[in-house]
Amino acid sequence: MTAAAEPLLEVRDLGKRFAGRAGRDAPAWVIQGLSFSVNEGEFLTIIGPSGSGKTTLLNMIAQIDVASSGMVRFQSQPAPIGDPKALNPGLTCKIGYVTQEDNLLPWRTTLQNVLFPLKVQGRLNDETRAHAETLIKAVGLAGFEKHYPHELSGGMRKRASLIRTLVYDPPVILMDEPFGPLDAQTRVQLQEDLLRLWNLGRKTIIFVTHDIGEAIALGDRTLVLSRAPARVAGEHVITIPRPRDIRGIMGHPDFGTLYQSIRAQVQ
Amino acid sequence: MSTTQSALDLAEPTPVRWRQYAVTVGRILLALLLLAGWKVGADVAGPLYAADPVKVARRIIEDTASGTLLRHIYVTLRLATIGFAIGCGFGVVLPFLLRRLPRLTAAVEPYIMASVGVPKYALVPLFILWFGIDDAPKLWLVGLLVFYPVFIAVFAGIRNVDRRLINMARVVGASEAAISREVVWNSLLPFFFASLRIALPRAISAAIIAEFLVGNEGLGFLIENSRQNFDTTGVFAGVVVSTAVVLVINGVLVRLDRYFNAWRPVDRDMDI
Amino acid sequence: MPDRKPVESSDPAELRPEARPGARLEARPELRPDLPQAPRRARFDRALVFVALVAIWIGLATVLGTYWVGSPWGVALRLGSGVWGDLWQALAFVLGPTWSDSAVGGMTRPVNLGLQGQLQGQILVHASYTLFEAVAGFLLGAIPAATLPFLLRRLPIATAVIDPFMVGGYGAPKLALAPLFILWFGIGIASKIALVAITVFFIVYFSALAGVRALDARLVQMAQVAGASERSVARHIVFPGAVPYIFTGLRIAMPYSIGGAVIAELISANRGLGYLIQLGAMNFDTTGVFVALVATTCIVFLGNWSVDTLERWLLRWRPPADTKAEVGS
Ligand SMILES: Nc1ncnc2c1ncn2[C@@H]1O[C@H](COP(=O)(O)OP(=O)(O)OP(=O)(O)O)[C@@H](O)[C@H]1O
Ligand SMILES: [Mg+2]
Repeated sequence: MTAAAEPLLEVRDLGKRFAGRAGRDAPAWVIQGLSFSVNEGEFLTIIGPSGSGKTTLLNMIAQIDVASSGMVRFQSQPAPIGDPKALNPGLTCKIGYVTQEDNLLPWRTTLQNVLFPLKVQGRLNDETRAHAETLIKAVGLAGFEKHYPHELSGGMRKRASLIRTLVYDPPVILMDEPFGPLDAQTRVQLQEDLLRLWNLGRKTIIFVTHDIGEAIALGDRTLVLSRAPARVAGEHVITIPRPRDIRGIMGHPDFGTLYQSIRAQVQ
Repeated sequence: MSTTQSALDLAEPTPVRWRQYAVTVGRILLALLLLAGWKVGADVAGPLYAADPVKVARRIIEDTASGTLLRHIYVTLRLATIGFAIGCGFGVVLPFLLRRLPRLTAAVEPYIMASVGVPKYALVPLFILWFGIDDAPKLWLVGLLVFYPVFIAVFAGIRNVDRRLINMARVVGASEAAISREVVWNSLLPFFFASLRIALPRAISAAIIAEFLVGNEGLGFLIENSRQNFDTTGVFAGVVVSTAVVLVINGVLVRLDRYFNAWRPVDRDMDI
Repeated sequence: MPDRKPVESSDPAELRPEARPGARLEARPELRPDLPQAPRRARFDRALVFVALVAIWIGLATVLGTYWVGSPWGVALRLGSGVWGDLWQALAFVLGPTWSDSAVGGMTRPVNLGLQGQLQGQILVHASYTLFEAVAGFLLGAIPAATLPFLLRRLPIATAVIDPFMVGGYGAPKLALAPLFILWFGIGIASKIALVAITVFFIVYFSALAGVRALDARLVQMAQVAGASERSVARHIVFPGAVPYIFTGLRIAMPYSIGGAVIAELISANRGLGYLIQLGAMNFDTTGVFVALVATTCIVFLGNWSVDTLERWLLRWRPPADTKAEVGS
């Protein structure tokens, strides 16, 4: 991964605070002085305690929320600071975002939800539709195409929201705990699928998780965020060579040391 | 029915056959009982106070055959429909306009909400004074009575659209128009339908009541005119027909609602 | 939002805080009350709108003339004099000649103040008729309606049997029955009370039924396990749990009760605010109509306020955030 001259995404000295509630409490900084960068084709995992601002960070990268200070640059284009009206959510479909909640449209069936991005982008044709159906089968949702979100389990909804992003193939994908509510089997399965996919297309992935094991198994690099106000508490290059065997990764000699040092920082 | 049952049984009826039979039989018996009660009541009270059900039925058939009843129904439904369209139109469009003007919204909202408390029916004499005795005062009444529930529902619906769904749609590249159509409108639909289920039957009863007060045609006129002429059978016939019309429309609405909002988790989320 | 937590987890427990649902709520700005956008400015805007509304009223009254739109001061004067006339009469009735023959009493006698016309000293009298009809009908309808679901709680079959009839009664246009009630009970207050009662009955019945049904089954079981009798379960668990629902029904029914009374009075009556409205309209006395309308609106607000106050008092035990939980209106 010899870095290009310019990183794909650069976050420098980023700060975020929300308006205090009802004017009572002073606005608190959720993120402050956060800096890191991501190269094209890199698989970055981010780990941090709950409430540390991981979702907020991804929201700002995807430009559905506005940063209060600092800088976020994607392909050398800076995101607006402090002006929500100037945001460009998804940066014209260049950044896909698998949000923490599934955010499926409750009035659309599974299939219709998966096809939604293609439809609004005007790219719905036989080929893309076939691709969507392949993805649905791949994540084990075959037979549930006509179900409404409320008729799916939490894990199924999660998978549907995952392939809703994969289906339109954005070059960068943000993922906020995508495998949280899944059982161990499906989870490993999807992790393997994700790695395979990433290997094929060399997408850039920023992947937030609570699970240290997952962060190590998937990433090229792991960032550890501190408690609020969030900043980078540690950075670990995952030296375990690829292709990786997810099921056997715990047996790898480097795993234990990485796990221990990440765990020590995560407090 | 045994003593070990709790209130829960109301919510989850045990699918025992004989219970269902008992309910059906009970309903039929109760219906017959009510009819018999009506008949006896009519016999006891005398024709001036209560019309004999047989006579009422005969009157309804006769008037249907002669076409006068259908004419009255048509007049009332026409009034209700036009008034409904007007009230509903304003009730839907106004919140969408106000959505663009948050400052104005905040300023006028308390007044709009306070005006809900003004008894609309009491305004009819004023409407008559202002707009004459044609359709206009009746349309104002029906329109106002429809406007409020629709406006409040759509207003609340727009305010409650899940921002996360809008953000998601933006991220995947949806235009603002697509978002309004897909996310806002669909989120709104259950609220809108809930308000229609209130507003549509209300439009009809408002039309009938307006006809009590002004005009010389329609179901309301039929009832009130019969009363003034001491034609009790006519009053009963009019009331029965009016009730039937409203109940039929209620039933249709329930079906439509179920059809259009099939994606909603029926009752599952409603029950606590 | 179902909270399915993964059963397995290779993550360290400390990374999975217990308070996640709360945290999720926190992260949803749309669930929060509107941000405080300069309350001062909002208050100013509202005052501005109020001034504008009054200005429009005055403008209309001046441009169109009081035949079409009663002027604000005309309405206020008439309302004030009407109320004063009533009060004077009441004082005369209570105090007798000591009041009416006294210097002050004589001077303030409505006639001597130049208060003339249809509405002289009649507002409160008519308002009290309407209010009485509404309250009596409200009680007559609401009490059996709120009791019935409790009686039927243990009789699911009976509940199911009467259900379609109740649904029909709920959906039927009760106000359209007004002529029927006038036919039966005459043009006096009895017909109005009956109309109000039947209107209120179905609304409250269904809200009380919802309350009984929504009852937390675990609470009942817990009480039964603890050996509570059927009666005390009903009294201490079912009833308190249903009170919020009943009040939702009462709050919805309140405007209907006053509306029902006024409509029946509009159709046929010889007293009450509805009658006053009709009387004003028949005499082309627009100001009189306005006065009666204002009085009617005041009664509606008074009714809403009483139900709210009563509810707040009865439901002191509830956390304040919940008081808005409504079935819909
Ligand atoms: N819209 C908002 N307004 C005010 N505070 C907010 C808002 N969104 C998030 N916060 C606060 O910002 C902090 C970080 O929230 P965030 O959702 O980014 O955490 P997270 O790291 O994603 O946590 P988790 O692992 O539980 O998902 C929290 O303290 C939260 O209360
Ligand atoms: Mg998060």
